[in-house]
Amino acid sequence: MPDMVTLSRSSAPGQPQQRQFNPYTENGGTILAISGADFSVVAGDTRQSEGYSIQTRYAPKVFRLTDKAVLAVNGFAADGNMFVKQVRQRLEWYRHAHAKDMPLRAIARLIQTMLYARRFFPYYVYNILGGIEEDGSGAVYSFDPVGSYERESCRAAGAAQSLVQPFLDNQIYFKNQVPQPGRPHPKHLPLTTVIQLVIDSFTSATERHIEVGDGLEMYIVLAKGSPLHGLESIDGVQEMTATNEGERIFIIRRNLKRD
Amino acid sequence: MFLTRSEYDRGVNTFSPEGRLFQVEYAIEAIKLGSTTVGVRTDEGVILGVEKRTQSPLLESSSIEKIMEIDTHLGCAMSGLTADARTMIDHARVTAQNHSFTYDEKIKVESVTQAVCDLALRFGESVHDEEAMMSRPFGVALLIAGIDELGPQLYHTDPSGTFVRYQAKAIGSGSEAAQAELQDKWHSKMTLKEAQILCLRILKQVMEEKLDRHNVQIAQVTTDKGFEILDETRLTGIIEEM
Amino acid sequence: MAAASVYSSPGFDFSNQIRNNFLAGKGLPLPKATSTGTTIVGCIFEDGVILGADTRATEGPIVADKNCEKIHYLTESIRCCGAGTAADTEFVTNLISSNMEMHALTHGRKPRVVTAMTMLKQYLFQHQGQVGAALVLGGVDATGPNLFTIAPHGSTDKLPYVTMGSGSLAAMAVFESTWQPNMSRADALQLVKDAISAGIFNDLGSGSNVDACIITATHTEMLRNVEMPNERVQKERTYVFPKGTTAWKKEDIKKLVLTEEITPLAVEAMDTT
Repeated sequence: MPDMVTLSRSSAPGQPQQRQFNPYTENGGTILAISGADFSVVAGDTRQSEGYSIQTRYAPKVFRLTDKAVLAVNGFAADGNMFVKQVRQRLEWYRHAHAKDMPLRAIARLIQTMLYARRFFPYYVYNILGGIEEDGSGAVYSFDPVGSYERESCRAAGAAQSLVQPFLDNQIYFKNQVPQPGRPHPKHLPLTTVIQLVIDSFTSATERHIEVGDGLEMYIVLAKGSPLHGLESIDGVQEMTATNEGERIFIIRRNLKRD
Repeated sequence: MFLTRSEYDRGVNTFSPEGRLFQVEYAIEAIKLGSTTVGVRTDEGVILGVEKRTQSPLLESSSIEKIMEIDTHLGCAMSGLTADARTMIDHARVTAQNHSFTYDEKIKVESVTQAVCDLALRFGESVHDEEAMMSRPFGVALLIAGIDELGPQLYHTDPSGTFVRYQAKAIGSGSEAAQAELQDKWHSKMTLKEAQILCLRILKQVMEEKLDRHNVQIAQVTTDKGFEILDETRLTGIIEEM
Repeated sequence: MAAASVYSSPGFDFSNQIRNNFLAGKGLPLPKATSTGTTIVGCIFEDGVILGADTRATEGPIVADKNCEKIHYLTESIRCCGAGTAADTEFVTNLISSNMEMHALTHGRKPRVVTAMTMLKQYLFQHQGQVGAALVLGGVDATGPNLFTIAPHGSTDKLPYVTMGSGSLAAMAVFESTWQPNMSRADALQLVKDAISAGIFNDLGSGSNVDACIITATHTEMLRNVEMPNERVQKERTYVFPKGTTAWKKEDIKKLVLTEEITPLAVEAMDTT
């Protein structure tokens, strides 16, 4: 909780007193995104905590921005929610000014300028943006709190980043795995494999990190004209597509351990 | 008090009883005094052509700047009070740069045109007793040419802040004759080369002086090379082909 | 006896604290001890005492042990739950367990719970809170059932139902809502399970399983993992690496089987003299 601290010990009249205001808190949780050839998966757990207390077991950290862009926000929840609200407002202004939906790479750059605008009073959030580029490829962009960003094909952030990212490096980038002769590592993984890896990332992070748990929300963005890649046979999948532009969005929810 | 027409003439904030803003209308009139400027759109790109009127043989015609770059994919030709265009193009350039800085993509032709027209409408804006930023409407019309994801486009803006997209448009003193000619000669299958020649032919028709490489200027926007003002060699080449 | 060459005042010696404060001011703070979030409880019922604990051990936000034991043995009929610095709770209960056994042998009778309580609080007070053990002590002796809490500085409470650790508020909420005097064994055990579960699910420092220990005058029953509401779920994929996946830099084959050639010399006749 934001708090005020009096630093100086003396309270002698006339003596200077220093006070410090800390407006930030860390609300735990973890987010993760993986891109494939023509799809992108963005996921996050739904627990929001402060210290050893659970504030809520259901606070979404992943948000649908457009039919081709999904944003995951982790860190200080109040900043995160406000940031998503402002990004959405900018997307609407852009639609009115330029008569089109903002492309993914433009959203990525916009997020950089919005974060850097607060260079000296930052939003205390780590952002991961996932979706489909103009050329139809799946993409993931990751950001630091002041706007440094990069396009990559997989990224974990938040409380259990240090647990999940090495797992992803090994399973997605095949780090520390030598290919068998005549069987090179695939450049892109199939969607069903990626979904399995995401679920396993979160169940494992729940086992070993106290701030991760309760629920998992996974958004899947499919490129224009892409087949379902076996998505139709996954339990509890729900379509969230809003427009007829061609890209499609789906959500999968799973329960995680509550201890 | 009864107001005569001459009193409605003065304020840019006051409509006449017939619903007219005379200062804006006069500004549009000012363009008709300017040199002729034409723009032609084709599927390969957009051509801009201007006449550079040289009032004196001592004048260095190369110092007359009537076509300017807004961004790598956007160009602009003008007619009227060309000094006013400088303010507008400055604004267009800043808008285009801001857009690519913020969104990592090229601004659309319509968006930059809209931005210029928003500025054109800011005459007579003042807060309470403060001095207004602009005292009168701009006395210039622009032809904005560019290419974006919707292909090659040509826009015309006037001092009222209105903008319209054209396949081919002429402005300035010879615009009436030029526009009639454009209407006659323009067709949708036109090549870039044909458009260059059409521009020069029309300018030649409406110019008082004899057309040469010094008193005209041609610029184009293409997908491959973006905006470019044709140098003297290329211009001479087209004049000879004409 | 030779007199000390340097005068030292009686009582506590704070010279190291002055040194430590000086070092901290220079940016060299004391190393931080591992503190574990925990839920531990105790409750008196008609026949004795029930102790309860969760089984999660943490290092900061990381779960270090998913199924550790927090109900420590002091004597056959006295047990002690520990919260706080893991090393301290283990060491201090172990030490007192030894001393209780010594006490029993010296005096030739079963030691009482208050004895353990007194030994613990004196030890903790001596160390001025530096031994970070927060304990729930319970047992049955000649005086009947006894239940205490002992805070790290040595203060104690004697109550019919107690909770300790980061989940103490969650657990106490359950006790305050449903505890009654002279509960039956079954009801008391259910209450303890509910109190620990409240800690497991609502306190991030607590988790995994419920341990309980029922102590009566005649018998002590340790119920290890009496509830397991947080079993690990099945993974979606199997993570077996194919043969040859591990990179290697050099190959060096050593022969581990030694072969030795034995050449028999001329056989001498055995000396049979």
